[in-house]
Amino acid sequence: MSRTRGRISCDAVRELLPEYAEPGPRPAGAVEVHLAACVGCSAELQAYRSLLSSLADLRGVEVEAPDGFLEASLRTARSAALRGRIPGRTELLAASARASDAIRRHGTGVRYVAATVGGAAAGATAIAIVWWSLARRAVSADAV
Amino acid sequence: MVSAELLAACRRGDRRAFEELVEITHRRVYSLAFRLTGDRTEAEDVSQEAYLRMFRGLAGFREEAQFETWMHRIVTNCAISMRKRRGRFGDLLAEEPEDVPVPDSTAPALVERDSLSRALALLPEGQRIAVLLKDVYGLSCKEIGEELGVGEGAVKVRLHRARKRLRELLDEPDARAHQL
Repeated sequence: MSRTRGRISCDAVRELLPEYAEPGPRPAGAVEVHLAACVGCSAELQAYRSLLSSLADLRGVEVEAPDGFLEASLRTARSAALRGRIPGRTELLAASARASDAIRRHGTGVRYVAATVGGAAAGATAIAIVWWSLARRAVSADAV
Repeated sequence: MVSAELLAACRRGDRRAFEELVEITHRRVYSLAFRLTGDRTEAEDVSQEAYLRMFRGLAGFREEAQFETWMHRIVTNCAISMRKRRGRFGDLLAEEPEDVPVPDSTAPALVERDSLSRALALLPEGQRIAVLLKDVYGLSCKEIGEELGVGEGAVKVRLHRARKRLRELLDEPDARAHQL
């Protein structure tokens, strides 16, 4: 049976209690007045506060993980760390962009070095090809 | 507690740091995964996926003080994704039955932990997830709504129903024992 104390009924107050029990300041109002006068609703509020406190305590209670769970998680960690060390496409593109940027910023000096190294590599390749063709021709002549 | 130094080492791809992070957090990760799914095998799958997402996401994560909340959100997200893939996410969004009125009673000062865990397991899934994330793990209603894909108001309704239902279940030991 619903009782009324002041201007608000027990049923109406109890409907509010699941949220009202949360910690934090509450403005003084009709609910406060009712709770101060109603032993039943006051006890119900206490029960909700106890429930919320017990729920918060559960956070520190750990469920026992099955055998092998930690090892499986460590394997996941190792593979993730390994993947982290091998540069992906994004990282390679970023490195390429950084190199282009450095060439732009350092101007002709870097360009000159890059052109010299590139020219030397091309020249060496050409000499090697000519040398290989001549050697091959000499071997063919010997065979005849 | 996970330190800022450890997180920085993980960001550098330090294998040992990753391992240490797992050693520190694996019980908490598994506990949340198990409480969300209620199934040991599913909890293991959710935890492994959560670690992969954590390691991938660490590069962009800068709010060290919020690491635990971030970790809890990733585990929750993985649990929900897995249930979606397995066609069970409908349970989370289903309309929940109205609760019966709360009986008049005076509760004991402390709620016994095992009874509470059993009562939690009896809640409809949407209510259980809301009360776990808010009252056990301290996420806000807004954060829970974002993970579940529902509005903040819907989370508050579930939370309200869940707390009332828990009070009833903890108040009726005979009925609870019968259901178990």
